[in-house]
Amino acid sequence: MNEEQQLMASMTRRILSDHCDTALLDQAEQGQYPEVLWSLLETQGLTSLGASEAFGGAGGSFCDALVVLRETGRYALPLPLAETIQGASLLSSLGAALPDGPIVIASGDFALNADHRLVGSASDVRFGRHAKTLLVVAQTGQRAVLCQLLASECEIEIGANLAGEPSDTVTIDQKVALAHQFPLSLEAHQDIETRGAAVRSVMMAGALEEALSLTVGYALERRQFGKPIAKFQAVQQQLAVFATQVAASTRAAETLMVTESLSLLDVAIAKARIGEAAGLSAEIAHQVHGAIGYTKDHQLNHLTRRLWSWRDEFGHEGYWQERLGRKLLADTKANLWHQITAMG
Amino acid sequence: MFQGMNFAPAQLPSGLAVLREEVRDFLSEETDWSPNSDFNAGACPDFSKRFAAKGWIGMTWPKKYGGGERSFLERYVVTEELLAAGAPVGCHWIADRQSGPLLLRFGTEAQKSQFLPEIAAGKHFYSIGMSEPDTGSDLASIRTSAVAVDGGWKLNGSKIWTSNAHLNHYLVALVRTAPPSEQRHAGMSQFIVPLQADGVTIRGIENLAGEQDFNQIFFDDVFIPDDHVVGEPGNGWAQVMSELAYERSGPERFLSAFRVLAEFGKSIQPEPTDAQMRLYGQMVAHLVVLRRMSISIASLLEAGEMPDNEAALIKDLGNSYERWVPEMIRLHQPGKVSKGFAQALSDCILHAPSFTLRGGTREILRGMIARGLGLR
Repeated sequence: MNEEQQLMASMTRRILSDHCDTALLDQAEQGQYPEVLWSLLETQGLTSLGASEAFGGAGGSFCDALVVLRETGRYALPLPLAETIQGASLLSSLGAALPDGPIVIASGDFALNADHRLVGSASDVRFGRHAKTLLVVAQTGQRAVLCQLLASECEIEIGANLAGEPSDTVTIDQKVALAHQFPLSLEAHQDIETRGAAVRSVMMAGALEEALSLTVGYALERRQFGKPIAKFQAVQQQLAVFATQVAASTRAAETLMVTESLSLLDVAIAKARIGEAAGLSAEIAHQVHGAIGYTKDHQLNHLTRRLWSWRDEFGHEGYWQERLGRKLLADTKANLWHQITAMG
Repeated sequence: MFQGMNFAPAQLPSGLAVLREEVRDFLSEETDWSPNSDFNAGACPDFSKRFAAKGWIGMTWPKKYGGGERSFLERYVVTEELLAAGAPVGCHWIADRQSGPLLLRFGTEAQKSQFLPEIAAGKHFYSIGMSEPDTGSDLASIRTSAVAVDGGWKLNGSKIWTSNAHLNHYLVALVRTAPPSEQRHAGMSQFIVPLQADGVTIRGIENLAGEQDFNQIFFDDVFIPDDHVVGEPGNGWAQVMSELAYERSGPERFLSAFRVLAEFGKSIQPEPTDAQMRLYGQMVAHLVVLRRMSISIASLLEAGEMPDNEAALIKDLGNSYERWVPEMIRLHQPGKVSKGFAQALSDCILHAPSFTLRGGTREILRGMIARGLGLR
């Protein structure tokens, strides 16, 4: 990471350590949207990081955005920051001016008819209810088009993922003005999934680092048989395995943060590898925490429930493993070792 | 993250592509061995000589000692190409990776001038002398010892699990030169022991694969001249510890099963099942991340740092990977496979138990990682 990225990471960490504590996470899950924190992030320019300044964004690259989003993963930020950053960068890349407030992309089963009527629905739309702007990916004939809508004019049925994050169903049947339709190239369309997977990868990496530090801290503090449980080899060995998983995740995530043009292979590797680490690590984190970590009151669950959700979002590890395998095997003349060294 | 761990992204300089091609060209003309990417599985003195002639043994060492004064990252490229191709590196591997650098760091001028050029020329091969019949992970408990005599030392005791001692010329042995005291790590020294010296007996030990690559060595009043002591007498422990980052972070810690993976890929083309593609993708994802972590460490070593904990972590993660690969491939292989594939898989299964033992057991490594986490 370059110096600027390190500064952005520490600024984000400072804001979140001051404002994003367990109490706020609990309240958010009970439906109290942390509006004040959102405004703070907006003021700092974080909500449109990676979107071009020419269209009202904060500038910077998608890599910079990933650096910030790892920090939000560390703090389990209960706000649509990742969604808005991704939406803003998509809109600005299509040459559209950025609207105010949270932006959420809804990918589901939508058709844009010849009379400009958008019909369809999408489930599992993260933070759908808190969006001010919805970006809906629709098919029109053979082409994909992005429609920009006011969320207040759409029907939103609320739901939640494993982590209690808003995960809503959006249903739409309305006309869309031509000015709010943007043709999506095949590349831009596929990029939505790739970038989403990259975002979830770095957020998991952040959550994993935090879960490890929480678990190590707990092991040093919790005493049984007259000594901290950290002194038992059985516990040490488990935490060492946890650390190997976290180190691999961090390395896989940081590749995305330092590579300007996002490569499908790197994203597939990161989402598959970190998703796998998430499950194994969450298991160890809970085992070491014992019964207290299994309670809703303990902060660990805010991280582990997100890990269990995020590893499935934008394609679980099996999905990305298969895509990676398919791509590498497609060229029957290729030499695996040459493919690996070419990835750097 | 947690204290003391650093895997910051690093990349091999793009200029190394030329060197990589040179190594690939060299290897493509090498035909008289069957490939195995386990660094310990093949030993071929003639191959090591041909390889040395290219200037690729001791390539980071000063030219005056026969080296090439090239970077540690250049060496990284050469070694990973060797392993990926499954070349028989066993003869020169230890001397190039460990014994040479040890002499370079701690040896006298005379030792460097005498021993290093012979290593770089592929003429002399080295073994590691650490384990003993009663000493495995608890290295400080060694009992092989030497007493001072006129002009040198008289060595008695035994070393075990010594790979290729029957083919090699020298052993770098860790021995007691002072009786054990309250300071467990004091009183040890490293000797260069000529394996043909009077009083040295080498007895082969057959491993479970039916091969005789490792040995037990007995020392019966072996005379070691003073000029064969590496560094300061009594400083052996610190010297041995300084080798660890080099020993543990390299590509040999996660590429041992690479031949199996490559053969598996060929065997499932052109119409792999979904499950086979998934497994292949999973294994490659792990491998790419391991390699990137290892390159991050290589860059730290190049910068003169000693990332011992990172190296322990890479070795543990890489060894677990090497042991997992053949097990999973076994379950996903097609009904009919080539002879090469069947051979690679059975070789790997038979060698796999050694992956998590050699160079530091899984349990010792995890103990080091735990210390890095502040748990001990």
